[in-house]
Amino acid sequence: MGRRRRRVDPADAAGALPAAITALSRALPGGPSAETFRRAKFDRPEAAPALWRLLFHVLSPRPADDAAALPTPGSAPPTHARPSALSPASSKAQARLVKSALRSQGYPRRALVQLPEDGSQGSRELLLALSWLLARGPLLERLLAQIRVRLGDEMPVCECEVLASPGPPAPRVEADGCVDIRHLQWLMGKLRFGWRNLITSQQEHCALLGKVHSYTRGCHSDRSLGHLSVTEAELLRDPEGGRQLLRRLESENARLEAALEWRRRELVFWQWMDTVLDACPPEASQPTFLPRIPERGAGELELVARELQALQEELQAVVETRRAAWEARVGGWGPGWKATQRASEEAVRQELTALQRAWERGGGLAQPHGPHRLVRSEAGTLGGPGLRATEVIKALRSREACLEAALRQLQGQCRQELARLVGALPGFIWILPPGC
Amino acid sequence: EGAGPSGGGGGAANCEQLLPLSCCPPAARAGKARAAEGAGAGGGAPRGRRGVDRRCVPPRLLAELRDALDACAERQRQLERSLRVSRRLLRVWYADPGHPPSSLRPHSEPRAGRPRPLPSCRSSVTRLSLQAPRLGSAPNPGGPWGLLGPPGRAAAALCLRREPAETPALEPTPGPDTNEEARPPARTPSPQDLKELELLTQALEKAVRVRKGLSKAGGRDEAPSRKSRSIVSPATTASVPPRASGQAGRRASETKPPRGVRQTTVPAKGLPELRLLSVGDQTCKARGAQAAKPEPGLRDQQMAPSAAPQAPEAFTLKQKGILLRLPMAFRKAASQNSRLWAQLSSTETGDSMDATTTAKTQFLRKMQSGWPSSRLCAAEVEAEVGRLRKACSLLRQRMGEELTADPVDWMQEYHCLLTLEGLQAIAGQCLHRLQELRAAVMEHQLAPWPEGRLPSAPSSCGGGADSIWSPQLLLYSSTQELQTLASLRLRVAMLDEQIHLEKVLMAELLPLVSTQEPLGPPWLALCRAVHSLLCEGDLKAARVTLKLF
Repeated sequence: MGRRRRRVDPADAAGALPAAITALSRALPGGPSAETFRRAKFDRPEAAPALWRLLFHVLSPRPADDAAALPTPGSAPPTHARPSALSPASSKAQARLVKSALRSQGYPRRALVQLPEDGSQGSRELLLALSWLLARGPLLERLLAQIRVRLGDEMPVCECEVLASPGPPAPRVEADGCVDIRHLQWLMGKLRFGWRNLITSQQEHCALLGKVHSYTRGCHSDRSLGHLSVTEAELLRDPEGGRQLLRRLESENARLEAALEWRRRELVFWQWMDTVLDACPPEASQPTFLPRIPERGAGELELVARELQALQEELQAVVETRRAAWEARVGGWGPGWKATQRASEEAVRQELTALQRAWERGGGLAQPHGPHRLVRSEAGTLGGPGLRATEVIKALRSREACLEAALRQLQGQCRQELARLVGALPGFIWILPPGC
Repeated sequence: EGAGPSGGGGGAANCEQLLPLSCCPPAARAGKARAAEGAGAGGGAPRGRRGVDRRCVPPRLLAELRDALDACAERQRQLERSLRVSRRLLRVWYADPGHPPSSLRPHSEPRAGRPRPLPSCRSSVTRLSLQAPRLGSAPNPGGPWGLLGPPGRAAAALCLRREPAETPALEPTPGPDTNEEARPPARTPSPQDLKELELLTQALEKAVRVRKGLSKAGGRDEAPSRKSRSIVSPATTASVPPRASGQAGRRASETKPPRGVRQTTVPAKGLPELRLLSVGDQTCKARGAQAAKPEPGLRDQQMAPSAAPQAPEAFTLKQKGILLRLPMAFRKAASQNSRLWAQLSSTETGDSMDATTTAKTQFLRKMQSGWPSSRLCAAEVEAEVGRLRKACSLLRQRMGEELTADPVDWMQEYHCLLTLEGLQAIAGQCLHRLQELRAAVMEHQLAPWPEGRLPSAPSSCGGGADSIWSPQLLLYSSTQELQTLASLRLRVAMLDEQIHLEKVLMAELLPLVSTQEPLGPPWLALCRAVHSLLCEGDLKAARVTLKLF
């Protein structure tokens, strides 16, 4: 690659910055105009609403634009499921959410917190916040990936999405605090029934997908795919829908090109942001965090702590007995034994390091993640890249076994506990239902 | 509270403490309760509730269950949407009558008896135009199948055409089109072509006869459809040679052999088929300079020479799906899209990138200045807690494996012992880290996302770190496999949720049981209910036999 001309001559600088900003505003979904950026530097109030909106869109859990995603088999619903609850949010609610989200991500400037929530001010601060987010991670790519036009039939292969909690509880009117426990039982039963339905519908969907894929074998121009997906077949069946899809695709292409352009030019943007930062009045005071009772976060933490504690105790018990037994056996062995001992230690150390990598930061690469496009291919024909369903099935089965064991263990624990509680009372006999 | 244990009302409730704890399905009991209570909360519906005390079930439990129900309902809704789309796709497609494609040419008729010169393909969009098999009516001589009669007639039931590039859509158009557009710039079938066609049509007739004999209770519409398909394939094969194109010298076989291969795998092709195809192929190969090579990806052009009355064009994916082609505009956009994504996700290295990274870091530092950076923000704490939770489950899984393993010699035993000790050490480290986090949260009053999870979660999964933002492929080989995969995924998700709920239930309900002092019937009923909730999770109930639809 040839040397890029990085010396920015003044004449060029005049053009480079607007170009960069334009690229950014074109790339950002729902991006404000380039003019807004410029106004924000001078903290003009008219630039504020657009920036509030943009940050809200960026920071809220799922952008309300789900026109992109065709429902796919087995995918979890958008975890923070209710865009309708969020998007007609008033500007005040938007502002509050933005502040809160930025704060919990560790935004370092206090000025943000002090902005009024009516959305009328603060464009410079918001510009800084946006740049902060952009600098920290691949924000743009993530946003674009979220609204990506999905052309294939996709199925996620991991359950990361599923594990996420269902998101902001919609404001519920608790009729009264006292609810019969049988209502709980009813809800549980309803849930189980719902899952059963889900599985059945899922099966049917897969069967239909299989049919569509096999009936259109050989149609796709891309040989590695080989057949049409439902989206593509729909596009053929319904020309109007096809045109819309094409339009969306083209606008996404335009955004992608703008993003690439932005990548090329962003250096001058960061230099400019330095000047914006300098233009701000210095922040004087020590930050004082408003005390808040952490609710869910701490709850999660406590749960995990308890589990780890329990696990450690179990391990300790097992290890003690085994180690004692081992020492008893091995006590009289000679020095020749030491070498093999060390070899074992080394092997175990390596295994455990590999295990640790599975959960450490950035270690998730070994596992397949995210949605995958379904491609039907008769066994063995496609030697190309791609995950094989058989492997995923194997992994899922072992995970299933593990989870079943965990659940059984929990249930056993409950049973014991209940038996203990009831059994302590004189005069009662605790008869378990058959099969338990 | 109700009167004494034998107080009237709810038979079920009052019987509970006397009978052994039989497995009365919770739903049934709860069903009665529901009937009695209406919406389940509040009110003093006397019947059926006398025996059971109204406990204040902690709102957290209710919230969790309701969230789970909502999530389940949402998934169901999405699935149903997809189902509707897919079902519609598999039914008959009808051309949109009110929507004449812009480039629809008026057709000139004569379809009977004239060998159609096969058009050249030039434009960018393929349009599919079909003759519907006349269901339920005897194939008339003029019908698509009837064209087999007189030799020399292009044995085609399918007509695939091109339109100039404006409309990116592909639609089944009413009426076979033909003619002006179809007429190749300069070509009439040579005698050789006709001869070949004749051979082919004869073979086709034979095939049809064979097929007729073979076709069983597939129904009238099955037979014609199979016939149509069988007609189509060799016919399309046949179409290649006579096709004119401006580009000589390019082999036509590129279209056909893959086609041929495909045709044979399509269900129920008999031997005559294969022979036809090979004949067709040979014809193609023989075609040398004459070979008409359409633009890549373009398919057959044929007229439907039949004199069949204009049937409403019905198209089903099952019969004719293989003939679909994506419009060129779409293909271009899609390939550009994947190219752009590939570019975007590749990380360039080079001076420019380094300078940018430096500039960014500097900017971040400046932003941070003046504040003691508490390195831990709530989002990071949450992410780390999530990682530790995953660690716990992986450690436990590994422990389970080691405990159930059967060492055959002392080496393995030692290995096992060391592993367990290692696991213990790691668990200890995780615990320690967790305590650090807890302290940090307390100290800094780090408030988590007040309304639930932050979108930091997606970053942990979505593509798993840097690179790929466009979807990778998942290859499956049969419907059964796909169904297994999908149901396993759901099952794992279910189990996850069940475990989570179990923990929550344990945390909230067991204390209730132990703190209830009046050990009368209400308490027993509570015990029983708690037991059913906690211990009778039907693991097997959700297992569904795979049924092929």
